[in-house]
Amino acid sequence: MLGLLLVVLLIPYLIAAYGLLFVKLRWGLRLFGAFIVATIGLLTAMFLVEAYPIIARDGVAVFLRTSWDPARESYGVLQALAGTVLTSAVAMALAMPMALGVAVTINEILPARLRGIFGSLVDLTATMPTVIYGLWGLFVLGPTLQSLINYLPGGMMTSPYTLFTAGVLLAIMITPYAAAVIREGYALVPKPVEEAVYAVGATRFEAALIKLRYVRNYILGGFFLALGRAMGETVAVAMVVGGNYARFTTNIFESGVTISSLIALQFPNAASYQYMVPALFAGALLLTLFGLAINAAAIYIIQKWQI
Amino acid sequence: MTAARKLINWLGLGLFALLGVAAVVPLFLIIGDIYIKGIDAINRLGGLWHFLTALPPTPFDEKGGIGPMLVGTLYMTALGALLGIAVGFPLGVYIGEMRREKFANVSRAAVNILVEFPTIVVGLFVYAVMSLAKQSLNQYLLDPLSKALSPVGGWITQFIGPLDGFNAYAGAAALAIIMIPYVALITASAYASIEQQLREAAYAIGGREFNALFVVLRKAVSRAVVTAALLGTAKIAGETAPLLFTAFGNTYYAPFTGPTAAVSLWIWYAAQTPYSVQIASAYGAAAVLLTIILIIFIVARIRG
Repeated sequence: MLGLLLVVLLIPYLIAAYGLLFVKLRWGLRLFGAFIVATIGLLTAMFLVEAYPIIARDGVAVFLRTSWDPARESYGVLQALAGTVLTSAVAMALAMPMALGVAVTINEILPARLRGIFGSLVDLTATMPTVIYGLWGLFVLGPTLQSLINYLPGGMMTSPYTLFTAGVLLAIMITPYAAAVIREGYALVPKPVEEAVYAVGATRFEAALIKLRYVRNYILGGFFLALGRAMGETVAVAMVVGGNYARFTTNIFESGVTISSLIALQFPNAASYQYMVPALFAGALLLTLFGLAINAAAIYIIQKWQI
Repeated sequence: MTAARKLINWLGLGLFALLGVAAVVPLFLIIGDIYIKGIDAINRLGGLWHFLTALPPTPFDEKGGIGPMLVGTLYMTALGALLGIAVGFPLGVYIGEMRREKFANVSRAAVNILVEFPTIVVGLFVYAVMSLAKQSLNQYLLDPLSKALSPVGGWITQFIGPLDGFNAYAGAAALAIIMIPYVALITASAYASIEQQLREAAYAIGGREFNALFVVLRKAVSRAVVTAALLGTAKIAGETAPLLFTAFGNTYYAPFTGPTAAVSLWIWYAAQTPYSVQIASAYGAAAVLLTIILIIFIVARIRG
């Protein structure tokens, strides 16, 4: 009944918002603002409600256990949490240098004519469907990485689909998001600062380093935004991470699972078990809280210390 | 300048350039891989027209296509994009023009958070609402409505009728929620960049505030907003995670009130099967999807 009200009231709400635009513009616009705030509030509330059965049964243990055993109705998401942290760590370690490289390449190295084209290519990297990244990771990147790692002395990657593969794929996907923020800051470095840097005789490389230090809050903000993307990315990760949801591992060269890929991979058979849907929603709740915290941090950093 | 500093300068710049290029090289590798294998797959599965209209191959078929998926993707993307623009544009005007209001800043924070939100969470949210709303929605609203509409003809049942738990409208709603903040942010920054004199002129001649904001000033930002709409459409056309729990996927031409197929969902499903004919169809579907997105992207770039 509650859901009916939600869906049915949505339409009059939007019509009212449009109507108010003509009559009393500011109030009409405020209704649209309220809509988006309400969406986030409802989203969190909905996940709390849906996850309640398992939290009532197990308490916070559901976030601290590593077992995922549907047959015994025993669920824990810690192994998925570890997978999320590990893949994000690999992705961030690879993506941040690339994002810095993109910002410097566009602003310092490329001639003005090529900047637009290079920028478009980076933006296209962000627009490409994630499932296409997954397809490529499944048939090209995974096998390539496996033979590459195993070629190294001491390399032991038994399967092409591991946390490491997912991390590398994520790095490619999130670089443009970090790069966009850093580029934005880099372009805002005041002209007098740039002139002063060159006036004291800095080389172009030294000037680039000084400018990067000047925009360090943008770099930090870009870091958090990209981290948020990396933690939430689902389909591409689910295709290459190996889908090992039963065993806890901290070795990045083994198959694992992340929270979002756990949800995507386990959802199709979740309805057959009593507590699996609530357990998956508990995972989604965790993702939501992470998303809120990380994005809020990124927005705070970028807005607070604007140049 | 000493030779050592010169050397460090070149090495350092070279390293940055190398890292920058490394960020876009995978793009070419991916596009090349998808088109080489995809075009080959489309030819093997029965040519382009057959591929675009036929049902997907079962593991024992020689030929097949992605007809239902293409229809589902186009329908859901169109609905989602329309709804996304319809809500995202006024929202963008609000957070761009009314920056002095406290609540506008709250909304801006909400939009900023939502634009970076994991898309899977949005899908699960719509799924949760749908599972709560479905039964009473059907009982009180859609059953009587479909009975009242039955004289129109049988085709209407393809679009309106009692909903299943998974349906195209839930998928479109999820896509719209993903598109709203995207359109809103670009609209907001376009409105924020309007010069103050132009704004004053618009208010001076526009009469009502509505006319000033939505008629006069819209002209100043229409280019940016159209670009935002196109890029947002390109983004949601390829989304998979939110559709997993809302449209669910299908392999037949089916009413939009039930589980609906989508190209991205088919790629996700078929790529993970062990059958080479289905994997080939996944590559063909990826080539089609990539073509759609590249066309929208290039149009947006040329206009913008």
